[in-house]
Order: sequence, then structure tokens, then C-alpha cells
Amino acid sequence: MSLWIGPMRVHLNGHKELTSHNEIVTVKPKGEVFIPLNVSMNHRAEVLVKEGDTVVVGTKLGIGPEPFAIPIYSPVSGVVGKVIQMMHPWLKPTDHLVIKDDGKYTFARSFDPIDIETADRETLVAMMKEAGLMGCGGAGFPTFMKYKNPQGIETLIINAVECEPYITADYRTMKEFLDDLVYGTRAMLKASTAKNAIIAIKKNKHELCTKLQALLVNTPEIKIFMTPDVYPMGWERTLVYEYSKKRYDRLPSEVGFIVNNATTAVSFAQALRQGKPIGEKIVTISGDGVKHPVNVRVPFGTKVSEIIEAIGGYSAEDVHIIAGGPMMGKTITTDQFVITSYANAITVLKAQKIDPLPCMRCGRCNDTCPACLLPVRINNAEEAKDLNLIEKLRADQCIECGLCSYICPSKIDVTEGVRRAKRALQLRKK
Amino acid sequence: MKFTYHVSPNIRQPLSTQRIMLELTLGILVVLGYNVGYYYFNFGLDYALHGAAMIATAVVTSIVVEVAWALFYKKNPLAYLKTSFPWVTALLYVGMMGINKPLYVIFLGSLVAIVFGKLVFGGFGQNVFNPAGVGRAFSVLTFGGFITKSVSDVVTGATPNAVMEKLGWVITDPAAVSKYLTQFNGLSGLWTGNYVGALGETNTLLILAVGVYLMLRKIIDWRVVMAFLVSLFGFATVIMLAEGMDWWYPFFFLSTGGVMFGAIFMITDPVTTPTSIPGRIIFAIGVALLTTLIRVKGNLPEGMIRSILFMNMMTPLIDRIMDGWPLKSFRKHLVAISSVALVGLLGVALTTTAIAYIPPYVAPEEKPTLGDLIKFTEVTQAGQISIVSSTQDGDVLTVIVKSDGYAVLEDEHSEDPQPNEIEIKLNTATQTIVSVKFTDFNDSRIKKNFIDHPDFLGQFEGVSYVDPEASVDVSVGATYSTESVIRAVVAAIDAALAQ
Repeated sequence: MSLWIGPMRVHLNGHKELTSHNEIVTVKPKGEVFIPLNVSMNHRAEVLVKEGDTVVVGTKLGIGPEPFAIPIYSPVSGVVGKVIQMMHPWLKPTDHLVIKDDGKYTFARSFDPIDIETADRETLVAMMKEAGLMGCGGAGFPTFMKYKNPQGIETLIINAVECEPYITADYRTMKEFLDDLVYGTRAMLKASTAKNAIIAIKKNKHELCTKLQALLVNTPEIKIFMTPDVYPMGWERTLVYEYSKKRYDRLPSEVGFIVNNATTAVSFAQALRQGKPIGEKIVTISGDGVKHPVNVRVPFGTKVSEIIEAIGGYSAEDVHIIAGGPMMGKTITTDQFVITSYANAITVLKAQKIDPLPCMRCGRCNDTCPACLLPVRINNAEEAKDLNLIEKLRADQCIECGLCSYICPSKIDVTEGVRRAKRALQLRKK
Repeated sequence: MKFTYHVSPNIRQPLSTQRIMLELTLGILVVLGYNVGYYYFNFGLDYALHGAAMIATAVVTSIVVEVAWALFYKKNPLAYLKTSFPWVTALLYVGMMGINKPLYVIFLGSLVAIVFGKLVFGGFGQNVFNPAGVGRAFSVLTFGGFITKSVSDVVTGATPNAVMEKLGWVITDPAAVSKYLTQFNGLSGLWTGNYVGALGETNTLLILAVGVYLMLRKIIDWRVVMAFLVSLFGFATVIMLAEGMDWWYPFFFLSTGGVMFGAIFMITDPVTTPTSIPGRIIFAIGVALLTTLIRVKGNLPEGMIRSILFMNMMTPLIDRIMDGWPLKSFRKHLVAISSVALVGLLGVALTTTAIAYIPPYVAPEEKPTLGDLIKFTEVTQAGQISIVSSTQDGDVLTVIVKSDGYAVLEDEHSEDPQPNEIEIKLNTATQTIVSVKFTDFNDSRIKKNFIDHPDFLGQFEGVSYVDPEASVDVSVGATYSTESVIRAVVAAIDAALAQ
């Protein structure tokens, strides 16, 4: 097959060694945290507290509208302040609720712990919703929605591939909370109605695999699945295909899979065991634009500028600051934005000026596209504003993984062209 | 502090277009450099210098033309060159030209390649036809008759394909096959380029080795090369089976006429070939099919470049047919590729049956061919003979003869052609030839290496000159020069007999 349509994936230099083994640094916010009030691109949560209210870690601050009725919990204890507008990592100015941190981190249970041996499926799914779980792979999709109505699910895939370069947050979270990972996986397995679960890990993570293997001795329904070190191995489609050689149209559930991120499983376990929603996050701050790349432990809502200052600052005057990894993460033009509950990394790269050459039609983008599209043809069609051709070329299938731009020897922003084509197609449909 | 915006992704792979072009340039230079060396060691410095001058002419022309173009459009010429890579086109073009081409032909060819092959379409990345191919096609069409003439006569030796063309592309008689192959030092000679031809095309194995390197470095797509070579081999095998030939045929088919040069450097040119993998495979099979058909049915020996140019024209069409979502078009692509391959096989099979009437190979009679013995009495070339001196010393008669050779009879480029002067010693008592040697050799310098050589002249020693069957082996080639010697010897014998 790859003879015909190309490999559909590429090995990238991960630079993971920058942050995979050094110590996790705990960073506390400087007095204030800012809680983003959006629960999806277009849905804003309703605030349940008033200015001046005293809150503790775990106080419910707000709740999203249906169908994204996810609660937002306070990551710190302190006093509620104003609602202000700030830049959000989704590149959209968004309302943020300010909380003055008293530095005590007093904790009160948001909900009661649940024992997964006795709880039924519905209770577990309700817990997912109640705990405010949003996919920690970067997209921030509410987790419970995948489990609401599972039909014909065979296998649960816990995605610990972490294929974006620089990011080691999942890896470090798993290492830290290996027991929670297994517990969370078992809970998700029960909630999903699947027969078995796999934890997908890149095959170069020997140490973690050995430890995990030892923990899984008594759980034959959970297995480790080793994947090659390629990008985008962590994309659902690529992962499902690698495991089952099956392809699907829209959602993995069509072919019997539910895919969830490993950190999500850990968070779920902590909610179940301790009655604790996500408050602290392990986030990778890496790239050649920071002096000391490292994983930090921070309450979500902490400003990125404060974190970077705390770990030693920038290494250059002109940088790209990226919410997420360098492939899919969005570049933000300020460091005045916060870590969200579903963030996993901030990548800071020295700004480089790229001079693109004319396209020489080499077709390397076609050969590597993991969605098996023809990016160069989509770009041509976009330039010609030929919407019918764009539709025929299935620009709607693009996930903006960035491989076409990455691979382009002429350094053209191919992905951006496909993105424009995709948007033009969406506008026409409206 | 400055936070610069850039659309994602923000990392790029190390391989750049500049790097691709650099490695490609080095690859072509290895091939060209080898051939310049080949001419130096086999034909002397003049030839190597001429080859180097051809390369320099092409490269300098291409760069000067692009600089002029950039200045005309008020662009920074240096920046323009850095994103346009004219020398690649120039090197490819000169690689397809024979060593015997005058420099002004190379100059005009490169000019046309760059201007009409590339710049008029809008420069790098915009051209429809392979620019080097355009230059080569222009040269053949414009100077066709002329540029087959040589700068010096040793290399008038026809290319393997030109000879094959005369033989109708089908040889079944084993003797004729061996005779054909021997001319070019056998099949291995064809694969290693041990014959005179285009500056970059002859050493098939070397080009293949460079190609494998480029494929491993992912500079060129191995699928295209593979699809092309496999289908060309397949088509040649069909001809072989249809005509009852042996396995040498497909291997010969792959070794000559710039097939490998085209496979590695021309059909892998990304600009002028389709962008999708199935499209590129169809392109490659198309070139193989047309090359085969033009070879066996066309009236010119060389089909590679014309096939490439024709398929370049098809590229937009192939791209349009391949548009869609490849993940769901597997069946469509399979059907498209296999039908092109099938049409090709059938087409070649039918065509070959149709050319079956070509009479079997008969060795030409009028001229002695390579590897033949020639009797003294059979020398037929016209040419002035004059005896300069004749002195008897005991039994030994020394005759010095002036005899017209290649310089006088055939070389149009020689400004003041002089006959060769040959000293022949005869033993009048035993009626045998004692020795033959040149006192003045005036045919081209390169020829001297072959003719003024003990292997050739030594044959005369001890030969009885009254024997009507007396003969020498003239397989060194260079007919005019060898026959000038034999005529001189015959004149000396006549003088001895007349005493």
C-alpha cells in the first residue's frame, strides 16, 4: 500500500531528551490565575461564583452549556476577581475569570470518590462529565461524549504515543502516576464496554514499558502496544490503522475503537480515587527558545510569561511561542496567555526567517500526507479558487498535522494553503 | 522581547530544494567527470579538454542567460540564480551531447534550453517541458546532419543505437549478434560505456550507481526509476520472445542510448512529471513504451528524449485524472496503471510482429568491417601514391612512399592535409617484407595511437609479398589510414617486382 500512496508518516527528530529526564519543576502563580471560560471553540461557560467569593481548590467555578455541560473547577484557593479578556491558545481573545491565589491550596472534595469495582458504567461516565475531563492530547474534546453511547466497541486505546516533537508531558505524567494510569485505564475500559484495552507507547520507551508490564501482570485485558517512532503516530486514524489495519470515515467508534489520551486516563483515576478534578498539570516547556527546557508542575490558569520567567527565561530576543508542539501548536504573538486544563506543552523556538522557493511539484507532500491527500494539488486548486476541485480533493479530511509543510523542500507553507482551502469549503457549506 | 507569528508547523525537515539541486549537480558531475577522464586516457588530452570546454560552455551560457533575464526584469541576479539552478539544466543538456560537437552548438543548445525550455514559461517550477530535453531536441533538429560529423575521425564510430537502427533492431543470427556486440566490447562494454558516445550517457553502470545513491538520499523517487526500467525491460523481453532472440537483447536495450541517463536524471525531474505516485508510475511506463516504439518503428535511432518530451505534455492530463482522494482511489489507480502497462505490452507485441519482415542481417560487403582480414589485393580506396625514394642495400630494398590517408581523403576540418609518409623495407632475396614504419604521420593524432603501433605495423613483418593471399588484420578501425599503409606497401612491392 505504501508503495502506492507513500508512507503516510515520517520520523521526526523529537528533541525529547531535552526534557525527558531532568527534574520536574514546581511553579506557583504570582498571585493570580486566569481561568478560561470557554469549553469549546464556540461555547462559553456560565460563571457560578461572584466577585469577592472565597474559593478553595475544587470549588466549581462555572459550567458549560449543553452539549458541552462540563464544569470548571478552581485550581487554587483564594478570592474570585473580575472577568477579563485575554488571548487563548486557540488564538481567540476569550473571557478569563481572575482568582487571587492565597498560596494555601486548601482542598475540598468536589465530589465523592467512586470504587470502580462496584460502580456501574453509567456512574463512571457521569463521573467523567462531573470531573470536567477534556482530552489532554491537545484538542480539548470533552471525554464523556465518547462514552455516552458506545456501540460495538471492541477495544479501548489509551494513547501514550506523544508523537509531537519536544513534548514529554504525557511521558512524565505516566512515569509519575503509573498506578493511576492503570486504574484509569481499567475505569475507562469498563465505561467503554470494550473487551480489551491497549496502551500504545512508542517502542523507544523501554524503561516505562518494563515498569508498566509489571503492573499489568494481573490485568490480562490490558496490553501494551509498541508503535514505531514516527509522526503522526498519535493521530487516532494512524494509530487505529497501525493496530488494526482498519480505516474509518469519521470516528474510530465506526470500527470499534475508543481512543483516549494517557494523561486523561490518569486524571480520571485521580478524580475517581481522590474526588479531585484536574488542578495541577505537568506541562513541557521546551525548544531552543528557552534557556532551560524542563517539565513544570503548575496549576492550570497560570500565565505562560510567569512560568518561563520562573524556569530561567528566553534564550533569544525574537522567538515563536507555540501553545502545544511545533507541528500542530498555534503560534501566539504574546506570552500573556495561560495554561489550560487540557494543555500539554509550550514550545518556544528561536524565530527563523524562511524564504520559500517556487513549488517544484516534487510531490513529497502527497507521498507523506497521513490523511492521504494531495496537498500540492489542493494548494493549486486553492490558488485557482476552484471550490469543486477542492471538494473533489477532499480538503475537508485535512487535520492540519503540518507534515506537508514540514516535508516541503522548498519550505512553502503548504499546510496553510490546505487550511485556506478547507475554510473556503466550510464557508460554502454554510 | 519579540513574539513572531508564523503559521504552523514551525519546524522543517533538513532537506531543502537547494540541497536536492546540489546533490543532483554533484551526481551529474561525477558522470560527466568520469567520461572526460575516459576520453583523456583513451584518446588524449585534446579530447578531454574539448569535453571540459563543452561542459564549461553550457554552464557559463546558462548562467549568463539567466543573469541577463533577471537584470531585464529588474531582479537581483544573484538571488535569482540561487532559486533557479540553471546549471542543472546545462549539465543535463551537455550530458546528452556527443564529445564531437563544436562549442557553438553547445552554446546555442543551452541558450534554447534555458530561454525556451524554462524562462519563457515563468522560470523554475513553471516549465512544461524538460528544459534539457528541449535543448537537446533543438540541437538534433537544427544541426542534426552536421553534429553527427566529428571533430576528429576516430570517433566517427556510430553509436550502438545508430548501428542497431541500420540492422532494424532485430538480430537473430548468433554470429551477427556476436559481431554487433564485439564492436562495442560486448554487453559488458555497453554497460560500462567502453565506447564513444554522448558525454554523459555511455557508462550505464556508473549512472545507475549514482542513481542508487540519489534514491537512497531521497533526492529522486525510486518508484519512477523502477517503473521505467522494469517496463522497458518487459517491452524488450516481448520483442525478444516475438523474434526468437536471446536474453542479451533486453540487457542491451537497457544499456544504450541514454536510457539510464534519462531514467535517473530526466524522468525524475519533479517539475515536468506528475505529482502523485500513481501518476509518476504511469508517466514512467509511458516513456518506456514510447521509447521502445520509437526505437523499433521510428526512423531515428534515439527515442528517449522525444518520449520524455511527449510525456511531459501529458503530465497535466495525468495529474487531473489522478485528482481525488488516493485512499479511496486504489482500485482506480490500479486499473489505470495496469491498463497502461497492458496497452504497452500489447502494442509492442503487435508492432514487433509487424516488423518481422525485416530481412535478416547480412554483413555489408563493400567495405571491410571491423575485425576483418584484408588482402593486399583487395584494397580499393582511391588515393594518390608517390614513391619518394628507393634504395637497395644488399638484399634489402628500402622504399619510401607518400600515400594519401584520412587527412587528405576525408578530413574536412584539416586545413592543410598532407599524405602519410611510410618507409617499407623488403628483402628481395626471400621476397618478404622486413618492416613497415611511418616516417611522417599526418592523419589525426589520435589515430596515430592505433595505426602507428607495433600491433598493426608488426603484422607486415615476414609476410611473403608474392603470396596472393597475403593479408593483414585491420580491426583497429580507421579505414582510410590503414588502407593508406597497405597501398604504400603494395606500391613498394610493385617497385620491387619491377626491378
